[in-house]
Amino acid sequence: MKYLKLKQAVLGLFITSAFGACSTSEDAKPTPSIVTQTVTNLPADPTMNISTGQPQAPTGKFTLFSLKDNKIVSNLDSASTKWDIGFRGTTIIVNGGAVRTGQGGAAIATGLFEEIKNIAVNQVFNTDQSATALAIPTGSGLGWYNYNPANNWISPIAGKILLIRTAEGKFAKVEILSYYKDAPTTPSPTATARYFTFRYVYQANGTKKFE
Amino acid sequence: MTNKQLLFCLSLLSLTAQAQQQDTLKGKDIEEVVVTATRSEKMLSTVPMPVTIITKSQIQQMGSVRLQEVLQEQTGLTLTSSHGQGVQLQGFNPDYTLILIDGEPLIGRTAGTLELSRIAVGNIKQIEIVKGATSSLYGSEALAGVINIITENPRNQQLSFSGRYGTNQLTDLSMQASMHKAKLKGNIFLNRYSSIGYDLTPETKGKTVEPFHTYTAQTKWNYAINKKLQASFSGRYFNEYQESGFEVGSPSQWISGGGRVQDWNILPTFTYQPSTRWKLQQRLYYSSYQAQSELYTPDNQLFEATNFHQTFFRPELQSNYILSEKHIFTLGIGNTWESVTATRYEGTKYFQNLYAYAQYEWLPTQRWNIVLGGRADVHTVYGSQLSPKLAVQYEANQWLTVRGSWGRGFKAPDFRQLYLNFTNTVAGYSVFGTEEIVTMLKQLQQQNQLAEILISTEALTQLKAESSFSYNLGAKLQPSKKLQVNINFFRNDVENLIESQAVARRTNGQNIFSYRNLQSIYTQGIEVDATYQIHSTISLSVGYQYLDAKDKAIEEKIAKGEIFRRNPTTLVTTRVKAADYGGLMGRSRHTFNGKVFYQNAKGWSATFRAIYRGRQGWADRNGNLILDEDNEYMPNFCTFNASISKEFWSKKIRWQIGVDNLLGSTQPDYLPNVAGRLLWTSLHLQLFKKE
Repeated sequence: MKYLKLKQAVLGLFITSAFGACSTSEDAKPTPSIVTQTVTNLPADPTMNISTGQPQAPTGKFTLFSLKDNKIVSNLDSASTKWDIGFRGTTIIVNGGAVRTGQGGAAIATGLFEEIKNIAVNQVFNTDQSATALAIPTGSGLGWYNYNPANNWISPIAGKILLIRTAEGKFAKVEILSYYKDAPTTPSPTATARYFTFRYVYQANGTKKFE
Repeated sequence: MTNKQLLFCLSLLSLTAQAQQQDTLKGKDIEEVVVTATRSEKMLSTVPMPVTIITKSQIQQMGSVRLQEVLQEQTGLTLTSSHGQGVQLQGFNPDYTLILIDGEPLIGRTAGTLELSRIAVGNIKQIEIVKGATSSLYGSEALAGVINIITENPRNQQLSFSGRYGTNQLTDLSMQASMHKAKLKGNIFLNRYSSIGYDLTPETKGKTVEPFHTYTAQTKWNYAINKKLQASFSGRYFNEYQESGFEVGSPSQWISGGGRVQDWNILPTFTYQPSTRWKLQQRLYYSSYQAQSELYTPDNQLFEATNFHQTFFRPELQSNYILSEKHIFTLGIGNTWESVTATRYEGTKYFQNLYAYAQYEWLPTQRWNIVLGGRADVHTVYGSQLSPKLAVQYEANQWLTVRGSWGRGFKAPDFRQLYLNFTNTVAGYSVFGTEEIVTMLKQLQQQNQLAEILISTEALTQLKAESSFSYNLGAKLQPSKKLQVNINFFRNDVENLIESQAVARRTNGQNIFSYRNLQSIYTQGIEVDATYQIHSTISLSVGYQYLDAKDKAIEEKIAKGEIFRRNPTTLVTTRVKAADYGGLMGRSRHTFNGKVFYQNAKGWSATFRAIYRGRQGWADRNGNLILDEDNEYMPNFCTFNASISKEFWSKKIRWQIGVDNLLGSTQPDYLPNVAGRLLWTSLHLQLFKKE
C-alpha cells in the first residue's frame, strides 16, 4: 500500500549490538533482533480521501492492523486472529475480550517509549467488553489523547505508551505520535484528521521483554 | 514588544534617575485617610495591611475616564480580558477580587469577571486597593483583595462640566453638581461615554470592539437630623448598549444585533454617633443587574436572545467603638439575599447568606499596631465559612516600618457553578451546575441518552467554597522625605479551586460537564513600589512585581517525572523538567511600571507613564495541557501614555491633551481590548464653586 511507509529504526539494532558486546559466552544463540517500526498516515476511517483530496463519508469500520506483520488486515478478517489493533477516529480497539476473537488486551503505561523495557509480570490487561467498554478508554485525557476544544485539536498524550497483548498472546508497546496526516507541527484547521502515525516494538518470542 | 521598545522603556528610567540629583525641595506631607482595610477611617501609615491609594488628582492628571484605565497602571495589577475586562491581583483571576463602590459590592459577574469599564471615574475621590485575603471583613470574593471606589462626598455649592474627545470618536461627557443648604448636602454626577469602536482585523467582517454608548447617573445626599444622627442616601444607575455582529455557518451568514446592560443600586444609611467614641451605622443596600442581548439573521429572524438578571439585597449594621486610644472594636452583622433569573438557568435561583464580623485593634505602644479580626458566613447552599485575620505593624524608627498579615479568604461557588443548565444545540454538549447535575443525569438516563457515567454521582454532590490562606510580609522605607519605598512579599495557598470537568458522556459521543473542586494552586511574589520627589514639581514612581503562580498537582507530577512533551517536528517525547513549567496561564512573571508626574504653580501639569508586562502563558499548543513551551506564551507588551494639561482663569478651566498607547502597539490575537494609539483632548469647566 502506497500510504504505508515502513522505517527500520536503528535503535533496536543498536540495543542488540550493545547487548551482543556485553554478553558472555554462555549464550551462543544470537538475540532475536527487536526493531522499532514506525507507521505513518494509517487511515482510521477518514472523512477525507487523501489521494483525491475530496471529502468522503465515513464507513464506520475499523482499520485493522497486524503488529506482527506490520500491515493492514482486511475487514473481512475481523473475526480472526490476523489483526491486533484497530483504528476508527479516536477509538482504538484490541483483538481480545467479549466482543473479539483473539487473546488480545491493552494497558496504558506512563513513561518514555525507550524506557519501557519490559512489562511487569503482574500487569493487568483490559479487553474489549462491548462497543463502548473498551480496553483503551475513549475520551479526552482518559486514554491516549487530549482534546483541545479551543482549536478542536486531538493530541496524543506524550508519555502514554499502549502496552498491547496481540491476538496471538504476544506483546508489543505502541506510542501514538500523531492523529493527523503527515503529522503537522502546529494545530491547523486545514489538517486532515484520522490519519495515525505511531511507532511500536513487537516481541515475537512471547516474552514481555523489549530488549 | 520589540527589544527597541524595551530599551526605550529602560532608558527613560535611567534618564529620570539621573535627574534625581538636582532637587532640594521637600516632599509633600499630606496624610492620606483610608477606610477599606479596617472598615473605619485610618491614616494610611498606620494600617498594617498592604494598601494602595489612587487619588483624584492622579486620575485627573492621567486623563482617564474609565476604571480599567486607572487600574492597569498600578503595580501588581494586570488587566485581563475574558468575558469582560478585569484585573489580576497577586496572580488571581478577576473573579477573586471584590469590587466595591463606597463599600458596597457591584454585581453582575455573569461569567466571573466584573466589567470594569462599567465604572466612570469622573466623580471618584480616591480608589483604595487592599491586597491579601480580606474575607475577615467582606466575606466571599475578597480572596485576592478588595478594590473600593470612594466617590466624592457632597461638600459645597459647585457646578462643573467635562468633555473629552478622541480617536475612535471616543467621547466622554460629564456633569457634576453639588449643593449645601443648612442641614442638607447633596451631589449629582451624570456621564455619557461612547465610541464607534475599532477594528484590529480588517480582513474579517465585524469590528474588534463594536460601537457602544453608556450612561451613568450617581447621586449622594446627606441630612443631619441632629448632632448625633445623620441620614444619607446614595444611588447609581448605569445603562450600556453595544452593537454586536459575527459570521456563522457556511455559506456564512451575518448575525447582528446588540446587547444592553443595566444596573442600578440604592443605599440608604443611618449613622448614629452618640459620642466621639461610638459610631453605629445601619446600611440598606439594594442592587439589580440585567444583561440582555438579541441577535438576528439577515432576514430578520431571531437568531438568539439571552437574558441575565441578578438582584442583591443586604441590610447591615456596624458598630465602631473606641474603648481607649489603645483598644478599638468593630462589630458588624448582616444578611444578603441574592437571586438570578437567566436564559441558561431553570427558574429563579436564590441565595441567602447571614454573617457577622468582629475586629479588634490593639495599639499597645505608639510603635505597634495589631489588628485581629474574623468573620463567620452561613450560606444556604454551600455551608459555613470562618475567615480569621491577623495583621501586625511595627514602626522600628522614623524611616522603617515593618508589617505582616495573615488571613483566610474564600469565594463562594457562584450561580453558574451551582445552577447552570446549558446544552449547546449545535455541538451537542451540556454543562450543568452541581445542584442540577444529578437530576439531569437521571433524566437523561431515563431517556436512554447516557452512554457512560465517568464520575459517580456520589462524588458530584456538594461544591465547597474555594479558599486560601494568604501571607503578606512587607516593609515601608522612608530614608528621606523625598523617597519612599514599599516592599511586600506575598504568598497565597489556594485550595478547592472550581473547574469544569467531563462527568458523563452522551450517546451522541458528546460530553456532559459539571463543576468540581479540583485544583490546588499557589501564587507568590514580591512587589516593590518606589516614589521619589525629584523636585517640588516633579515626582517619579516605579513599580515592579515578580510573580509565580503554579498548580501544585502539576509540580508534583513533574517532580515524579510523569509529565512529558513531544517535539512537534521530530515527534520525540521527553520529560518536562521543573524549570520548563511556566505555571498558570495568563500570568506575567515580570510586570513593571514607571511614571513621571509634573505639576507647577502656573497651572501646568504633565504625565508620562510606561507599563510593561512580561510574556505570559496563553494556551497549550503541544497537547500536554500545561505551559511549558516558548510558543505557548503571549509576547511581552509595553505601552506608553502621556498627557499635558493647563489651568486657566484661577482654575476655572482645565484644558488637557493626551495620548494613550503612544507607539500604537497592538496584539489583536491576545489583547483585543488594547486599541492602537488614542489621541484625545479634554476640557473641564468649573462654572461655579463656593466654599
